[in-house]
Amino acid sequence: MTYKTRAAALHPAAKMHAEEFAAGKISRREFLTRTTAMGVSAVAAYGLIGLPTPAQAEAHAKVGGIVRCAMEVKGTKDPRLADWPQISNVYRGWLEYLIQYNSDGTFEGRLLESWEANEDATVYTLKVRPGVTWNNGDAFTADDVVRNFARWTDGNVEGNAMASRFLGLVDEATKSLREGAVVKVDDMTVQLNLSTSDVAVVPNLADYPAAVVHASFVDGEDPSANPIGTGPYVPQEISVGQKAVLVRAPNHNWWGGTAPLDEIHYIDFGTDPSTMVNLAASDEIDANYETTGDFIEQMETLGWQRKEVVTAATLVVRMNSATSDLYKDKAVRQAIQLAVDPAVVLELGYNNLGTTAENHHSCPVHPEYAELPAQVINPANLKPALEAAGLGDAELEIISLDDGFEASTTAAVVAQLKDAGANVKHTVMPGSTFWNDWQKYPFSSTTWNHRPLAVQNMALAYTSTGSWNESGMANAEFDAAMTKALSLADADKRREVMATLQSILQDEGYIIQPYWRSLFAHVKEGFNVERHPSNEHHHYKWSLV
Amino acid sequence: MLTFIARRLGLMLLTAFVLTFVVFFLTNLPPNLEKLARSEGSVRMTDESVAAWIEQNGHGGSVFARYGQWLGVVPGWTRTDDKGVTRGRCIQPRQDPAEAARFCGILQGDWGFSTFFKKDVLPSLSEKLAATGWLMMWVMIVMVPTALVIGVVSGMREGSRTDRVLSTFSIASTATPEYVSGVILVALFASPVTGLSPMLAEWGWIDGRTLFQGAASPDRITFWSFTLPVLTIALYGIGYIARMTRASMTEVMTAQYIRTARLKGVSFGQVVVRHALRNALIAPFTVIMLQFPWLLNGVVIVETLFNYKGFGWTLVQAAGNNDINLLLGCSVVAVFVVLVTQLISDIGYVFLNPRIRLS
Repeated sequence: MTYKTRAAALHPAAKMHAEEFAAGKISRREFLTRTTAMGVSAVAAYGLIGLPTPAQAEAHAKVGGIVRCAMEVKGTKDPRLADWPQISNVYRGWLEYLIQYNSDGTFEGRLLESWEANEDATVYTLKVRPGVTWNNGDAFTADDVVRNFARWTDGNVEGNAMASRFLGLVDEATKSLREGAVVKVDDMTVQLNLSTSDVAVVPNLADYPAAVVHASFVDGEDPSANPIGTGPYVPQEISVGQKAVLVRAPNHNWWGGTAPLDEIHYIDFGTDPSTMVNLAASDEIDANYETTGDFIEQMETLGWQRKEVVTAATLVVRMNSATSDLYKDKAVRQAIQLAVDPAVVLELGYNNLGTTAENHHSCPVHPEYAELPAQVINPANLKPALEAAGLGDAELEIISLDDGFEASTTAAVVAQLKDAGANVKHTVMPGSTFWNDWQKYPFSSTTWNHRPLAVQNMALAYTSTGSWNESGMANAEFDAAMTKALSLADADKRREVMATLQSILQDEGYIIQPYWRSLFAHVKEGFNVERHPSNEHHHYKWSLV
Repeated sequence: MLTFIARRLGLMLLTAFVLTFVVFFLTNLPPNLEKLARSEGSVRMTDESVAAWIEQNGHGGSVFARYGQWLGVVPGWTRTDDKGVTRGRCIQPRQDPAEAARFCGILQGDWGFSTFFKKDVLPSLSEKLAATGWLMMWVMIVMVPTALVIGVVSGMREGSRTDRVLSTFSIASTATPEYVSGVILVALFASPVTGLSPMLAEWGWIDGRTLFQGAASPDRITFWSFTLPVLTIALYGIGYIARMTRASMTEVMTAQYIRTARLKGVSFGQVVVRHALRNALIAPFTVIMLQFPWLLNGVVIVETLFNYKGFGWTLVQAAGNNDINLLLGCSVVAVFVVLVTQLISDIGYVFLNPRIRLS
């Protein structure tokens, strides 16, 4: 699907990565994420390491058929306001993205044919894919790209999820697109001139609120009211809370060829997963959006195929030195962190449905992940460390949600700290009250979603100015290294800084970050439906066997 | 008779007026408006954005004025933003603001726009009411005859073994709320992993994986999918109506004219059918009519449990999403159903009992 017209445009770092891959220094997945984020197409990337591009499913997929997928059907709304991936999965039928994040960790140009970043990630050149048309017959051009950037950067719209992601393109005074920030070079080329380095432009363009809409779209409108898009499907029916039906767009020549399925039905089963199992058992659905906890086993007794994807989604059990005096001493934090064995937490708290992590919130699926020496778990040191700090009898209260893996994981952490001799209490709260003060609790657990780059979560959570800093961590060295990392478009150079960031974060001891969650879904035999780390549904990849 | 009906209708309007104002007031409390703003705008909006959203979407100002807009006695709000785009309560998307009506409330026949369903309240509500109507019809068809037969049979001979067995059954069934019996029924009959279904499937007695379906849909009403929801609601009502019928029946059976009939040699069956039944059915009739409003309550639980998209489910979604117009619509419907069934039951009395006069 993706091709590169100018071979000379390969990013200089791509070849270097290829050598690293050959030397076994990085995995195939890391190699792909890194190089494609720099604008190298997936085909070229696979070519660099001497592998054939995986055959695209649609190339020989059977055309025709319907897939019925169990998923909450929420009301569709202006894509930039979309706050749940479920909303986007419906409008993905007819609205497409400039860039797509694939489940193998690569970035793929969809409405863009290619893109290039300069050395310090301040100028991006976007090449529009030729031959793309809207389903009303209009051609897709650079004007459409510029217009959508103006929509995304409009900070005056309440709830615009895209506005905060392109701060380098925004005029601070007017809170809208800065003059000269997005320039149409010619009909097929757009140049972004950022005021600061930003490595997250590509992942942001691939995120679910970044769907590209037509010139006739009225801001704030429901996109299904007048479904003009570039994608292969159009909505036939959207009944909120009940079902959504996507059918082939009539008289539309989709640039990607023929999407295999005739129709995609989303069936809303409410919020109780056991209803989803019942629907599966009574043959009302062919696939589901997500399977969690005990339901994984139940779906497998029905004979459905398990679809698993490793993600950087995680649970962080963190101390807060800004709101509690107990955790001001670094030695105490380190002792607490090292008293918890991640493998045990993964088993007891998450049924081994993931992989262990290393207390630094950077995952091997991230392109800039740096491998650090393994930590030595030492529960015996906890009691002496607490006593040395005069906290021998102090009660440590750990707060978590009252249900689900959040509660069981936190319970596993509490149990291990108790075994190590600390006086620990586990307090649970319902979601309605827990989230009111989640950043302020002295010691509590927080779920973190998957983001394609490690620096995205780290900048939010662990810099002293990070808007989601929940630990009170303020380390000048860390802040400086983060500023540097955020200016390095080249993921490999960023990795050197990453090693510093990760070891500071580990050393500060604020977080117990025991595992990476795998996400699951189930599909009935006879259907090809892909599981995506960010819950995206790429309908054109789905088919009947 | 006519004045009686007119008075009842007046009472209905007054009740609807008061109830909708109470609902309007509660749904317009600041925390509820914030919830609405977050679900309509974005869950991750800042507090300033939420306040601005509330102001810019016609939820600012006095609650009475906004209630007046819903009634249609105050002109609908309009607002022109910085970009010169005018939006308003009465302005349809893509409509020229100059052509829009000034008033658009319930008096003009406009029930407003449902923020949850993303369409007008009236068509959404009527569709859901029809779905619930089907469910209620089947509940009534199962519940009323079963309950009356049980009640009459156990009330015929008070204290007999049949009476004790049937009474135990009715007390047990009416003491079990829907949310308990529904879960038990689903676990027993509709789960592919527990209860009877895996056993039956293993023995090859059933083709699918479950005996009954644990979810129902208004699109396809089948014995397989409707049995459990209907049974869940009906079980509760059966016990209750049967107890009422039994009480009424035992009272009638001890009456003088029944003894007279027996003494003059009429057979027991004749006495029950000819003399006792009609008099014994007056009390159950009221109870059955009272079941209609009660059913509206029962369907909330059952429709949520079985994921049946009817009126009860709509009410839950409307409340959960603070969909103001939809909740108001639901209130009007509820008032209407309660008072109309009461009216029917009062009129029905006259025909069952000649001693009662309405005016």
